[in-house]
Amino acid sequence: MKFAQAMLAVAAATAMQFSGSPEAAATGKMKCDSGPQTTWKSRTDLEAKLKKDGWTVKKSKVDGGCYEVYGVTPEGQNVEAYFHPVTMEKLLVSQRGKVIFKK
Amino acid sequence: MLRLINVHPFFWALLAFPAVGMLAGFVQDPVSAFDLIHPSGEFSVRFMIIAMMVSPLRAVLGRRRGLDWLLARRRALGVAACGYGVLHLAFYLYDMGDWGMIAEEALIFSIWTGYAALVIFIAMALTSNNASQRIMRANWKRLQRLVYPAALLIALHWVYVDGETMGMVVHFVPLLILETARVVLMFKRRSARRGKEALTG
Repeated sequence: MKFAQAMLAVAAATAMQFSGSPEAAATGKMKCDSGPQTTWKSRTDLEAKLKKDGWTVKKSKVDGGCYEVYGVTPEGQNVEAYFHPVTMEKLLVSQRGKVIFKK
Repeated sequence: MLRLINVHPFFWALLAFPAVGMLAGFVQDPVSAFDLIHPSGEFSVRFMIIAMMVSPLRAVLGRRRGLDWLLARRRALGVAACGYGVLHLAFYLYDMGDWGMIAEEALIFSIWTGYAALVIFIAMALTSNNASQRIMRANWKRLQRLVYPAALLIALHWVYVDGETMGMVVHFVPLLILETARVVLMFKRRSARRGKEALTG
């Protein structure tokens, strides 16, 4: 039964893809050891700084203790970027899951 | 009310309902295209998965009235999956707004997997009519079976764009369990048949 074998192969490939290394599959997530939120700089400040640097910010939120920003870089790339909320340092930039910058 | 859902045009309208909301939101505020990319893609996946669950459910549970009901609406679900896929692409293209960047991104793994799946969906939707089924004969079924590689491409597209697996897994696990059950059952039945043949033969 060719069809059954093909289905098994697809199931196996999928299982392997996701059981193997979640790290390799997941590129976008980032954790920041950033302490209590009272010590953080405001998200508005970060957005303002990015806009001044030539970014377009579509959306920003807190993720894993970092600030996560969806936007367009000055080079015109649509990205998801992570910043440290205390130092405002750029930590990770991923373009549709492809890491284009990592501190 | 329950009778109404049996009327095919009403079922089609029901499937189109979320798209109406999305398009209304987009017309009011075009910037929302960015936020509509994800939900439109998710509806496409949901309808695809429901359509794909009909066959393994029948293999596992046997013929049931509820499954016949769903089978009669599988074409609508498949076409809807394609429709939401096209909508998903439209929101993405609008949000990008730059053909050069769109072309650049198309080469990224997480993006071309999405395009490839959509090409399959469009081919399937265009042939989702009785005339195509008649003309293509055995090839029609072969074409429709491309939904399996399409599903795999979509799973990869989702995980690699998002950078996390949870959303995809929640959607695909029911289908994966059903398909596994179908395959296991198929092997069991076959070996049972062989055992019988060995005894009588």
